[in-house]
Amino acid sequence: MSLRISTAPHIRKGVTTQKVMLHVLIALVPCVIAGIYRFGFGAALLLAISMCTAMLAELIFQKLAKKPVTTNDLSALLTGLIVGLNLPPQAPWWLAVVGSAFAIILVKQLFGGIGDNFMNPAMAARAVLLASWPVHMTKFIAPINGNFGADVISGATQLTAINSVNSPLTLSGADLFNHFTGNIPGAIGEVSKAMIVLGLVYLLLTRVITWHIPVTMVASAALMSLILGGDPLSNIVSGGLLFGAVYMATDYTTSPMTKKGQVIFGAGCGIFVCIIRKYGAYPEGVTYAILFMNCLTPLLDKFIRPRVYGAEKKQKEAKADA
Amino acid sequence: MSSFRGGIHPMKRQHGGKRPTRDLPIREFISDSVCIPLGARQGPPSVPCVKKGDAVKVGQPIALPGPGPLGLPVHASISGKVTDVVRMAYTGDTPVMCVLIENDFHNTWIDGIYGQREFSAITPESIIPAIRDAGICGMGGASFPTHVKLSIPEGARCDIIIINGTECETFLTADDRLMRETPMRIVNGLRLVMRALSVSRGVIAIEDNKPEALKSILAASANLPGIEVKKLRTSYPQGGEKQLILTVTGREVPSGKLPVAVNAVVLNVATSAAIADAVLQGKPLIERVTTIAGCVKTPANLLLRNGTIIGDAIGECGGYAKTPGKIALGGGMTGICAPNDQVPMTISTSGIVVYDEEEAQSLDEQPCIRCGKCVGACPSGLRPYILKHYCDEGDLIGAQSEHVLDCIVCGSCSYECPAQRWLTASFKNMKDKLALAAKGGNGK
Repeated sequence: MSLRISTAPHIRKGVTTQKVMLHVLIALVPCVIAGIYRFGFGAALLLAISMCTAMLAELIFQKLAKKPVTTNDLSALLTGLIVGLNLPPQAPWWLAVVGSAFAIILVKQLFGGIGDNFMNPAMAARAVLLASWPVHMTKFIAPINGNFGADVISGATQLTAINSVNSPLTLSGADLFNHFTGNIPGAIGEVSKAMIVLGLVYLLLTRVITWHIPVTMVASAALMSLILGGDPLSNIVSGGLLFGAVYMATDYTTSPMTKKGQVIFGAGCGIFVCIIRKYGAYPEGVTYAILFMNCLTPLLDKFIRPRVYGAEKKQKEAKADA
Repeated sequence: MSSFRGGIHPMKRQHGGKRPTRDLPIREFISDSVCIPLGARQGPPSVPCVKKGDAVKVGQPIALPGPGPLGLPVHASISGKVTDVVRMAYTGDTPVMCVLIENDFHNTWIDGIYGQREFSAITPESIIPAIRDAGICGMGGASFPTHVKLSIPEGARCDIIIINGTECETFLTADDRLMRETPMRIVNGLRLVMRALSVSRGVIAIEDNKPEALKSILAASANLPGIEVKKLRTSYPQGGEKQLILTVTGREVPSGKLPVAVNAVVLNVATSAAIADAVLQGKPLIERVTTIAGCVKTPANLLLRNGTIIGDAIGECGGYAKTPGKIALGGGMTGICAPNDQVPMTISTSGIVVYDEEEAQSLDEQPCIRCGKCVGACPSGLRPYILKHYCDEGDLIGAQSEHVLDCIVCGSCSYECPAQRWLTASFKNMKDKLALAAKGGNGK
């Protein structure tokens, strides 16, 4: 009889990296469907291009670097999809290629691959695309809403319009509703807030993420916009705030390890979004707010740590006894 | 309900968790022969006092206490003939001295056993020596000599005895059954320990997933002054000594100290029952209830004599349901692997769990994705993802700065890790290394 000998535990939860990534991909399906419904097959093509590029970039890089190929964990596919969902629906195809390749090769693989990147790859890619091709990245079309033969009409996101006249953002009832359902110009994945909330519910139910980051990010953004004289609800439903809060700020690798750290991280993201939106040169602050907090994550993890059982209390107890 | 930090809810799917055995009454099984290891617990190995060919009765000492305060005697668990006294391979690396006895099936006990003594006839001073003479060690898994645990050091005091009936480990239902079937023994054991240490408060702690055990213990302890039954939230490792003390008393055992530093003593329910048998009946510790679960045909709770070969116990449960891939003594989270099914169980074997070949395989370790699940799960408040780096590099100082010595090796971090990293294994390894280094330092 040959028995395996190993140290405990002998059972595992059965959750793997691959399953986690798959859950997030599933959570994004409503956003993908809404994006294609609103913006047509061009959007679908962009998503496909960015996903393929991300997978190929990871495969080629790992082959060339003679590293084990990890495309099976689906993280590259997810990064590609998120890069795609961040693009305007009529963006040129090469923007998707450049974005995904940049995310995978420069931000993820060159820093050591999955788990070792200090910035969210998709977020960093979006920042680079926005800085390099601002025209392509901020030209949005009006939704066609399933009418796939219609001509595309260029528009601008509400944020661009509002920011250009530098007035506080306030949306009226009908506009609010259109923002919530995604019947507005915008990036493919960001527009339909209802679908993002659906994805959030799925991620919470499958325990892939906890409420800490998304809820504190949205709540602090609401509070901050109130302080800055804006309308909280309008700020929440416009731009990429919800998409960022649910799918990007919650990225495991670039967010803090402790719940307390995550609350601070989320709050920081929300505050910076509003500050950048109000005072920054760019209409949208989510990208830079999250990237900035990504950079603070190592610091948060250094200083915010769980209290070790029986360790630090010693002095307090000694004092109490004395 | 207050509780400790972190914790997990380990599986219910694999072999139905505790379900297959929780409602099966304890059944006695006595095998043809036993192999009793003399060094299978903490403290010095006991010294054999029988030789090949000797006839022994049940309860007769076959080994005398080893040197030092931790020494314990060992008793024959069946009556019959000693077939060998020999060094044999056991679960660890080093072989241990074992006494092999062939059963004559007369079950002849030594004299002076079957008389239940009156509770009032027992003097407090006589209790701890009786516990030592009965060879009692912790039956929750750590197998630490109980009389040492109950010897409160000079200057320290104890104001609470906690009886651990949480049984938070996966698969195991032996303690649950014991609480349901013989609650009086457990309560009596607690009363005796309280009397020995003149402690006025005793708590029997049971997780809320064992309502029948709670009811049965409540009934047995009704109207007894100073004894309370506490219902705890079901969460692993609720039964970890340090976690249990925190949950029950709100006190935290300081790092590197024993529970007595916060005036508490924790005993397992089976240990408590053994104490009652030893003190009230003069019965040495020769048997225990063990859960046989996992990939066996009919999982069961067996009352096994010390030294029963695990293969015999598995045979009593109908044998293997599939080709076994791994056998672990203890539950799924902390069990120790048996090299084959010819090794004996001991007094500290709470379970024998068989895993099939597929379950025995482990997935390849993948890179950490910094999900933070390990940090959330750790009941000690450690940062397993950082600690693992130090342990992998063999950095003793770095590992200590990340509090590796406060790791209770509960396995929660490994259980949760989506990257399948061997966190607990590397911490255990590091703890062993540090213990060895400390020993070497003392020797010089």
